[in-house]
Amino acid sequence: MAKSIAVLLDDKRLAKVKGTDLEAKVDVMFGGQLSCFILEIDDDHAKDVMDAFHTARVDSRGFITDVPIAFNRVLFEEIAKAKSLGTKAIDGVLGRVEEIKDLAAKESEYLPCPEF
Amino acid sequence: MSVLIPRPAPHGGRLEERVVHDRELGKKLAKGCAASFDIRATLDENGVPVRNVYREIMSICYGFFSPVEGSMKKAEVERILKERRLLNEWVFPYPLVFDITEEELKDLGVTVGDRLLLRLKGKPFAILDIDEIWRIDDPEDLAHRTFGTPEANPEVVNEPFNAKMPGWVIYKNLSPVVLAGKYRIINEPTFLPPFDKFWYPPLKSRAEYDRRGWRTVINHQTRNVPHVGHEFLMKDAAYTGDLEPCHGIQVNAIIGVKRPGDYPDEAIIEGHAAVNEGGYIKPERHIVTFTLWDMRYGNPLESMLHGIIRQNMGCTHHMFGRDHAAVGEYYDMYATQTLWSKGIPSYGFPDAITEVPYGLHIRPQNMREFWYCPVCNEIAYSECCGHTKEKQKFSGSFVRGMVAEGLFPPKVIFRPEVYKVIVKWWKHFDYPFCNPKYVKEKEQRLEVDLPDMDI
Repeated sequence: MAKSIAVLLDDKRLAKVKGTDLEAKVDVMFGGQLSCFILEIDDDHAKDVMDAFHTARVDSRGFITDVPIAFNRVLFEEIAKAKSLGTKAIDGVLGRVEEIKDLAAKESEYLPCPEF
Repeated sequence: MSVLIPRPAPHGGRLEERVVHDRELGKKLAKGCAASFDIRATLDENGVPVRNVYREIMSICYGFFSPVEGSMKKAEVERILKERRLLNEWVFPYPLVFDITEEELKDLGVTVGDRLLLRLKGKPFAILDIDEIWRIDDPEDLAHRTFGTPEANPEVVNEPFNAKMPGWVIYKNLSPVVLAGKYRIINEPTFLPPFDKFWYPPLKSRAEYDRRGWRTVINHQTRNVPHVGHEFLMKDAAYTGDLEPCHGIQVNAIIGVKRPGDYPDEAIIEGHAAVNEGGYIKPERHIVTFTLWDMRYGNPLESMLHGIIRQNMGCTHHMFGRDHAAVGEYYDMYATQTLWSKGIPSYGFPDAITEVPYGLHIRPQNMREFWYCPVCNEIAYSECCGHTKEKQKFSGSFVRGMVAEGLFPPKVIFRPEVYKVIVKWWKHFDYPFCNPKYVKEKEQRLEVDLPDMDI
């Protein structure tokens, strides 16, 4: 069964897709209080993601979660580059697995604290 | 017939209070010791701390684990593994032992009948009167028997426990020599901030309920910073009670070593306090407390310990959700609720844990789950809300992912006051969650300091 991945969108990310076709694909969660893209991932690609990142798991909603933070960042970059939520974006991510793993290795020691 | 629910007696009939408050007596007891031992953390195979026995000593001596009085004898451990009962019949889930290596035993030179001084952070802390010295022949076997197996406990255990299960790792890494006997704290530790504000051992919690006029109190177990789903669980579960909803809602956080990805203890305890400071549950009805314990993540067994702790604290009710105190999918997700509703025969309980002889008297409130429903436009209870297709769940990993990305969460997920607590401790530790660096530093610092005591 196909899986899903949610890419959360804050104001910065929303600004980057403003005026593009992607804007129409912005989904909302929690009564419109949270914006996101929801990607449908076919079984083969889902398996590739699960195999590449040992922390990844499928939660009770059928969403792939617990991927490195860098994965989410790169996935957004690839979506913005492909201007699509299709297979091209996830292919782009799978082409950058080593880069994501390098970044993920540092994530267990340090994550930048947000300033509000 | 009275419909009023009285406060339950402590488990075992009376509260253990094994703390010497008179410092001169403490010194005298310390002077009479045959040897002294510096308490150290139990480490996993990578050298990462997984447990510190000082937390067990604190929880035993301050009465959280009543009627347990100390490190267990071999016969008691065997009885627990077979029937989940102490030698005095009262139900209890886990072996609790003071373990050392053969080399350490040789260096100490102690034997049965000796009194051992236990030092913590270089200062006198407690004494152990040695009644028995016994060996753990096979720690891995002990770990398996502590939690069960799919073959022996088919009602609730789905798969064999292994090195990904923190509780199993604790028992697997125990040292082979057990010094069994009663503990007494002879030099009372003082809690470091922020823990100092939330220390309510059973005698004090019972007095605090009296002061607040609470007869009925429902406990919320936590190892998490509370999201809004947790908040609604607490509020809604508290509608139980007797003639009226529970007077008090107690949060009792488990403070100790946790698994990577859990929040730091400091954020957990202050995050819960932020719920009442923000008025989401008014402070007059809400109390935040903690127990020192390195979580075993033993789902139904852990829930039994939670019931004991909170009954000893004086709670009348305890809320239990699905996957209570669980990690992975080792246990059936409703294993805890099974223990409290009909029992688990293979653990020694043919009936609910509240219905067996020498069982518990705290009342379970088994809850399903809360989600956000965009149709109802509210946080909804799964057994009320019919919009199962539209529901949006408070998945823990989803929420952690959002936090890790540094996104300010919407109010419907985290109250702003609670999220600010996460950020406060994120800045402090350079990381929002437990990682090996946090765990190692925490095990140096611990939650307490001890006053000087010259002996």
